[in-house]
Amino acid sequence: MSDYVLQQAFNALSVGGEYALLALGLAIVFSVMHLVNFAHGDMITVGGYAMFLLLLFGIRDPLLVLPFGVLATVTAALLLERIAFKPVRNASPTTGMLTAFGASIFIQNVALILGGSRPKAVPTADWMASSIAIGAVHIPMVQVLETIVTLAAIVGLVALLRYTTVGLAMRAAAKDVPTVRLMGIKADRVILTAFAISGFLAGLAGIFILARRGAVDPFMGFAPVLKAFVAAVLGGFGSLPGAVVGGFALGIAEVTLQVILPQEIAGFRDAIVFLLIGIVLVFRPQGILGERPDFGEKS
Amino acid sequence: MSNITQSLKGALLLGGIVVIIAVAAMLFAEPFYQRIVFIFLVNLIAVVGLQVFMGNADITNYGHISFMGIAAYAVAIFATPVVIKKTALANAPFGLANIELGLFASIAIALLLTVLIAFLVGTMLVRQSGTPASIATLALLVIVHVVIMNWVDLTRGPRAIYGIPVKATLGWATFCAVLAIVVARLFRDSKWGLQLRAASENIAAAGAMGVHIKRLRLAAWVLSGTILGVAGILFALFVGTISPKSFYFDLTFLTLAMLVVGGVYSVSGAVIGAIVVTLGFEITRYLENGPTLASFKLPEMFGLTGLFLGFTIVMCMILRPQGLIGHDEIDEIWDRRQRDRSRSNLEATASGAAK
Repeated sequence: MSDYVLQQAFNALSVGGEYALLALGLAIVFSVMHLVNFAHGDMITVGGYAMFLLLLFGIRDPLLVLPFGVLATVTAALLLERIAFKPVRNASPTTGMLTAFGASIFIQNVALILGGSRPKAVPTADWMASSIAIGAVHIPMVQVLETIVTLAAIVGLVALLRYTTVGLAMRAAAKDVPTVRLMGIKADRVILTAFAISGFLAGLAGIFILARRGAVDPFMGFAPVLKAFVAAVLGGFGSLPGAVVGGFALGIAEVTLQVILPQEIAGFRDAIVFLLIGIVLVFRPQGILGERPDFGEKS
Repeated sequence: MSNITQSLKGALLLGGIVVIIAVAAMLFAEPFYQRIVFIFLVNLIAVVGLQVFMGNADITNYGHISFMGIAAYAVAIFATPVVIKKTALANAPFGLANIELGLFASIAIALLLTVLIAFLVGTMLVRQSGTPASIATLALLVIVHVVIMNWVDLTRGPRAIYGIPVKATLGWATFCAVLAIVVARLFRDSKWGLQLRAASENIAAAGAMGVHIKRLRLAAWVLSGTILGVAGILFALFVGTISPKSFYFDLTFLTLAMLVVGGVYSVSGAVIGAIVVTLGFEITRYLENGPTLASFKLPEMFGLTGLFLGFTIVMCMILRPQGLIGHDEIDEIWDRRQRDRSRSNLEATASGAAK
């Protein structure tokens, strides 16, 4: 029995970790430029198709393919910022959100036209599909790795934000962009760094998403990012610690429901999770760690 | 001119455009094109309904289509003949498999149910604002979809419900579209609409002036849900077969693109956007299927319509974020132009006289 609990606990941690990685990427972009990046998941799709292309050319070494996927995701994030988001940087949050929404539909359909709607197999490394034994319990390698990578990414992000100038600038920009610019920091640099970080985190999450599904398709990024959005709102939108807490809370809630729900209503899991979160937000509209917005602030 | 006459004049101007399109379709078009016009009218009603909440409360809404789905499924479940339900929905809960109501009773129940659900969801939703509220509407779309997909006994799950009586006509759709336009315009120009729009510009100032922001948002949300319910009912009663896929992201993208392109802040924007995007969408759909143009066979390009919608939204946001129409209704723009022109004429004659 306790073995089962341990197994499910790891499951919850890895699912939560995936949401936390994605929610962090959303939050970091939102905090510096108040953009709700609906196209976040489609960067994962771009990374996935990039890996598929590499496999087509016969390059199969995971040590090359996986970093290439992350690199492609980061590049996609930076390109997206340059092409779509820079022109609407000073517009209202609604305009930015709809731009991202349009960009998301655009990328999905480009993938659909070029690659077709059928999933394309992208095998990741064999050692990711194995499992490791802790005592009598076998835990899939993916889950262990995902938990460790998420924690490492969080530690790395905290270090970056604490101990580097650009990190300091990003934390400051979350509070007051004009003052940051008055201090001689280029807004462009801060925003590009935010997108690079968000792309990097999405790339990491993308590898684990691929390791689980084993294939890419044009719409693969949408569902996980939808969850990440909900996680970010639950944690407090725009708050980085909130994104982590919200991600893990959502992951734990999902796995718990999966375990305790009877078979007949297991299909309703997502609806029940979202409803529960809706109820939490009725009592705490700003989310778990969010600050109550100043009255009159429109974000 | 009093406020109400001005609003009605503007609404009927827009309604006139819709009526002309519909009458032309009834008189001259082949059934295939009449069908396109009917679906256009349904989408138009949905976009007008979306505008009521999104334009006045200034909260981007991704969950509007869920109300279309709820109403369509409700009317389908009540109006479908028992004979068909015996095979299609034999295990329906609450004894619904043996109930068959008349058309108007079914419509009334479907609308009531939609209003009730919109009210319940709205009481939770209006506590949020801005981005979290938008994400909440997206969550609503997913919740409703998941429920329809999984409550197999009631909805047949992912399979389609068929045999819904096909009773809706182009005439009914036109009437409902004009009604929706009038209602939306009257709400926008009413005291409540004005207060709500003021609150979306400056929530603190409006609150200080005594505007009940949450209550008004709830009212706009429920009215918006009702109009969308009408669209859903018309859709179900025209097509005769509905499935969960009809009320999910595809339709959400399409209707949002229509409203955004036309302009969120006015009913005119909703109508113009619906017309413009429908034209573009139908043309791209024709190209998507790989037609032969001037003896030149184009390749099939599945995904072209989606590409068109995404591209249109992005370009519109970059070049004209307020949409084609902007903040005013077309009759207001027209009146202002007239005034400007007569003023400049006056100035011209005055300066001419001075010489």
